[in-house]
Order: sequence, then C-alpha cells, then structure tokens
Amino acid sequence: MADTLLTGESKAGDWRSYERVILPPVKDLHQIDVYEQNGGYSALKAVVRDGKFDPKGLTDEVKASGLRGRGGAGFSTGLKWSFMPPVDPEKPRYLACNGDESEPGTFKDRQIFEYNPHLMIEGIALACYAMTIKTCYLYIRGEYWEYVDHVQKAVNDAYAKGYLGKNILGTDFSTDLVVQAGAGAYICGEETSLLNSVEGKRAYPRIKPPFPAQKGLWSMPTTINNVETLADVPLIVNRGASWFAGIGSEKHPGPVLYGISGHVNRPGVYEYPTGMKITDLLEVAGGARGGKKIKAVIPGGSSTPPLRWETAVDCTMDAETLREAGSSMGTAGLAFLDETVDMVSWTRRIAHFYHHESCGQCTPCRDGTGWMEKLLARIDSGEGYTRDLDLLLDLCDQMEGRTVCALADAAAWPVRWGIKRFRDEFEAKCKATSFQGADLATAGDGASGTPALVDGDKTLTPGGTP
Amino acid sequence: MTPATPGPAASPKPQYTPGETPERHFSDDELVWTDEEKEQIATYRAQYPTNDGAVMKGLWLAQRKFGWLPPEGMRLVADTLEIPYAKVYGVATFYTMYFKEKKGQFVLDVCTCFSCQVCGGYDILHYLEESLGVKAGMTTPDGLFTIQEAECLGACGSAPMLQVTNGPYVHNLTEEKVDAMLDTLRSASASGGLAPGGGGFALPFESVTLPQDEDEMQGNRRSDAEAVTTYRTPPTAEHVH
Ligand SMILES: Cc1cc2nc3c(=O)[nH]c(=O)nc-3n(C[C@H](O)[C@H](O)[C@H](O)COP(=O)(O)O)c2cc1C
Ligand code: SF4
Ligand code: FES
Repeated sequence: MADTLLTGESKAGDWRSYERVILPPVKDLHQIDVYEQNGGYSALKAVVRDGKFDPKGLTDEVKASGLRGRGGAGFSTGLKWSFMPPVDPEKPRYLACNGDESEPGTFKDRQIFEYNPHLMIEGIALACYAMTIKTCYLYIRGEYWEYVDHVQKAVNDAYAKGYLGKNILGTDFSTDLVVQAGAGAYICGEETSLLNSVEGKRAYPRIKPPFPAQKGLWSMPTTINNVETLADVPLIVNRGASWFAGIGSEKHPGPVLYGISGHVNRPGVYEYPTGMKITDLLEVAGGARGGKKIKAVIPGGSSTPPLRWETAVDCTMDAETLREAGSSMGTAGLAFLDETVDMVSWTRRIAHFYHHESCGQCTPCRDGTGWMEKLLARIDSGEGYTRDLDLLLDLCDQMEGRTVCALADAAAWPVRWGIKRFRDEFEAKCKATSFQGADLATAGDGASGTPALVDGDKTLTPGGTP
Repeated sequence: MTPATPGPAASPKPQYTPGETPERHFSDDELVWTDEEKEQIATYRAQYPTNDGAVMKGLWLAQRKFGWLPPEGMRLVADTLEIPYAKVYGVATFYTMYFKEKKGQFVLDVCTCFSCQVCGGYDILHYLEESLGVKAGMTTPDGLFTIQEAECLGACGSAPMLQVTNGPYVHNLTEEKVDAMLDTLRSASASGGLAPGGGGFALPFESVTLPQDEDEMQGNRRSDAEAVTTYRTPPTAEHVH
C-alpha cells in the first residue's frame, strides 16, 4: 500500500527538545499565586476582560486549533461547542467537565488535578464564556478523594480572586463551578451516564439522540468535555490556534499526556506531542523491564484493541495511524506487556472488568459481558475448546453497536482483537474440539488466524461515542 | 431472616431494605446532623437546581459520619433532602463506594485490573490474604481489615497499588511495604481517634507518576520502590471474583 500511515516515522517532530506546557516543570504550580506568576489566568483576562475573542470567536479559534477531545472519542472540540443551540435567556445551559477517568490504564487527568488544577479551571471558565454557560459541574471519580479536596481548594482560591463566580474580573460574565465526587462506577465516565449521576440518579446512560447539546443536564443544553481537553484551551488562547495546530500530528495535533504503565522501567505520565512513535515512548519510559521483550501494546486504555509488537513498531500515537493499525488513540494510556504475559489471562481480566462495570440496562451488554468472562475463564483454566473462540467472536458480533452506550463495544474490542491477534496463545490453551467440522477456524471473518487487520475488514469502530 | 413485606398499613418509614434485617444500627439520638453538617447540606442544595442533585454528596456525608450506610442512614439523607427514600436507596446501591454493609475499620481495595495484574497485583492480594487470614471480600475477625479486589484506581503508573478506605493510595507495593502499612494502620487503630468513615490515620500522601520531573525537581515525584519484574500469579478462577 502506497498511502499507508504505518511508515514507522515519527509525526512528533523534534520531540526531544519539546517543552512541556500542560505540566511544566514549575514547583508548586498548583498554588494560585505561583500559577499567576507563570502567566496563569492571562488567557481569561485577555478574553473576558480585554475582549480578545467574543464567544463565537473563541469557539472558532478552538476549532481552528484542531483540538480533539482527550477523553477517548477524539471528537473535534470546537465543533462540539458549536453544536450548542443559540442562547435562550429563559434556559440555563451547562458544562460538564469529565474527570471520571476510570478507563483501566488511564491516569493522566489526575496529574492535572494535582500539579496544574488552575489550568483546567481557567479552561473551564473560557469554555463557559465561549458557550455562554453559567454553571459547570466538574465530576471527579470518587476514588480520587485526595484530589477532590485538592481541586476544591484550588476552586475556592479561584473564586476568592474573582476568576470564578459573579462578575468575573469585573465584567458582566459570571459562571459557577461545582465539584462533585463520584462513588465508584466506571460507567459514570460515559457522558450521558455522567449527566444522570450529576442529577442524582442511578447513572444509566441515556439513549442518543437527543444529544446532550439539545437535552443534557435537567433537559437543558449541555456540553461534556474531558479535563485534559479543557486544560488545552488557555494554551490555545495564549499561544494561538496555529501554534497548537503545529504540534505533533497534522490531523490530531497538540500536546498530550501519555500515561505509560506495564512492563517498563519508568512508568508514569509523560507530556509529548501527538504522533509520537510507540517505540520512542517505550524509550522515554526507560525501556522494557528486566531486559525482556515487549509482546503487546495497548495504546489507549483497556477498550482499545491490543497491538502486536510487530505492528506497534510502525505506529505513531494519533487517531488516523492507530485506526489504520486496527486500534485507536483512546485516552493515550499506553500499557506495554512483555513476553511473560499470558494474553488469555490478560483478556480474561479485562472481560471481568467490563462484566463488573456493565450497568445492566441492555441485554447484549449485561449478559454478553458475563458470558464473555465465563468463556474466557473456561479457556484460561484449560477447560475450553477451540470452538469457544469462535463462539466468543460471535458473541462480540452480537454486542457491538447494539446497545445504549459504547461500553459493550469497549468490552468486545479487546476480546475480538485479542483473539484475532494472539490466536496462537488462545488455541494453545484450548482442547481440540471433540468432533470433526466443529471448528470454523478456516472460515471467514473473525475466525482466521491472521494477526493484522485484513483489508476490507472494517468491523472496528474505535473511539466510543462522539 | 426473610424480611417482612410492608403492607398498606405499614409505617411510611420502613427501617430496613430488602435483604436486611429490620434491626436498627443507630439510635434516634445518633441520627441527627450537627450544625456544621446542616450547613454543608445547605451548601450542597444550593449547588443544584433540584434536591436530587445533592443526593450523592449527602450520602458521602452520611457515610463519613456513620462509617457506612445503614438503611436508617439513607433514610436520614432522604428526609433531609425531602426526596423519596427509594430514590436514595437506588442511588446508594448503584455505586460500589457506598458501603451498604458494615466493613472493617480499614478497607483495603487492592487493584488487580490489568496494569496492576501484569505487575504483580494478584501477588499483593494473595500476600494480604495470607497475612490477614481472610479472603478478598471478607473482614478479619477483629473487625480491623476488609480486603477487596478493586478495578483500576487510576494509578497504573505505580502498580501494584491499593487504596485504604476510600482514602489514601499506597503505591508500588511490595511485601515489605504491605507489612509496614499494616503496622501503621494497626497502631493508628490502637491509639484510637479514628473517624468512623475512615480518615484520622497517617499514611503519607505520595505522588509518584510524573517521572519527567525527576531531574529538575530533585526527585520529589519519584516512586519509592523498585519495580517488580516477575509476574507470578495468573488470575485463575479461584481468585477473580
Ligand atoms: C463506557 C465509557 C466510559 C467513558 N469514560 C470516560 C472517562 O472516564 N473520562 C472521560 O473523559 N471520558 C470518558 N468517556 C468518553 C465520554 O463519553 C466523552 O466522549 C468525553 O468525556 C467527551 O470529552 P472530550 O470530547 O473532551 O473527549 C467514556 C465513554 C464510554 C463509552
Ligand atoms: S451498553 Fe452496557 S453499560 Fe452501556 S447502557 Fe447498555 S448495559 Fe449499560
Ligand atoms: S490497573 Fe491498577 S491502578 Fe490502573
């Protein structure tokens, strides 16, 4: 293929001299005066007080920057903002900032809460200005208690200095920020489920349409953005859309927080441009632990299909390239798995996660995730048959795209692609099927042992819901 | 004991939920808010256009007060916010961090989700089970510790890790670290003064997942334990719950 993106060439430019902007190396940046000394809240002042942009202008600037949501779906943020209906003074409008961060393998928003909460708060205020919103709910997962308190302090400081609340910076623009802690349910990260949780209901995802921009919180127009997405907004205002668009991959630009976990020497959160080569990220994370060989990479949290290392070496971290490789960018929470990992046990643990977290509204998801876990447990403990693999793939077909939210898809992808790409390992754990012809292994889609994405096989729709 | 079904003449305030014995865990004298808590609740209510909105915060407040959420605790939240008990019950039962049953003084949520799994999360879980003599999901006979298997807690960069009673995280676990942690918690309990909903004990706040800063910031964000390099325990049937 001539026009492949899997060239093995970095799209991150001169990343070795990249200077961090979301998490710059400034000590005590979480304190409001340190933040101000380092140029903090200047974007808010420029826009709200000095009129650098009007609301539409700010939305257009964000659109022009090419910023795409960092919460998993990768949808254009400026475009999402422009879906908000025209202002109706009778109707309240809301912003929900999604800090639920429960996707296994993801731990990046936490760094923003801890080291640079004011960048996010400034971004929230700017987003509220762009969409003429008077209330924002910031939803932080309940397990992050220490960060909830920490962020609440930062919010109080911002109120005290007039960056939030009534008549921000002496103008007639006002906006409130309410921090809410979750209580341990992965599904609350799904945007409509988050809305129900904020409303004080059981957090069941809602059917779309109507989309939140039409009917969100309390049936009023609402926009949902991830923490990191909103933290990018002040940077865009300060340095300009073209600066942002010039960082990293052309179609998926900007700085991004890579949360690296698994078998590396220095796991943690690293800020670099998009379009980093996966091999370069392995290098910055100190290489593989104990000198072992890396076998698989999960590029963006548990729901993004695992890649074999042979594919991953040619991959860069941006939506387009990863899609071609048969995975997705997700939350940019990479996990490196070395040769000691049993991919069957690993897939089974993921299936367990989704079974545990399914909210139970839709039969394909509630029952499907359970069956998936049972089948994988059977195979994992050596009791399975090779035909179970085909049964699992069939189960994936029955789950994908048939449910209210994308959790069912997220559960099916790692299983489908785990089996497709590591079929040898699965088969090695299976007993042979006891009668002739029961194995479909040589038949069409899903059952072939080919590891890479077969041409024309576009069952994969990565990235969750926009 | 099979719970009785409230008939039409039943009290409008049943003190139990299905599956629970109707006995009370807290007396009427204990089921009152302090002035400070009342003020908190008023703040919560002002933050939302409806009273329902404040229910999660109300439940958190009750759980911090009582240590868990007995039916009468949920009832208190419902009455305070003037919303139906059924709604509060529905919310409380949706989320795992609301304790609908009494747990040990310290709840140890060991993450075994995939990043922790491949870095020895199950080894830590099993070590804890052996040290405390109970399995995941159980409480030690002295009522001190409950072990639970948790899903990803968002600290995968410092795997394996655990969380103590919806509170502090303990990162980069090793067997020695688990021992030290158990000692700290035991002596905190012995010295008294623990808040019912956790808290009141000192585990250092650790931030360990930003290694890019190690050089510039004198390593103040460095992880404090060597990484585990061997993966010993597969998640086999007897362990995955
Ligand atoms: C099951 C499920 C879980 C999700 N969890 C999260 C999450 O924890 N954090 C998050 O920001 N987005 C999460 N999302 C994505 C959100 O639905 C939504 O797309 C995102 O918050 C939008 O923000 P963005 O456009 O800034 O990325 C999840 C989606 C699904 C389907
Ligand atoms: S797909 Fe699963 S998690 Fe999503 S609404 Fe349906 S049952 Fe709930
Ligand atoms: S997998 Fe254990 S904290 Fe994420």
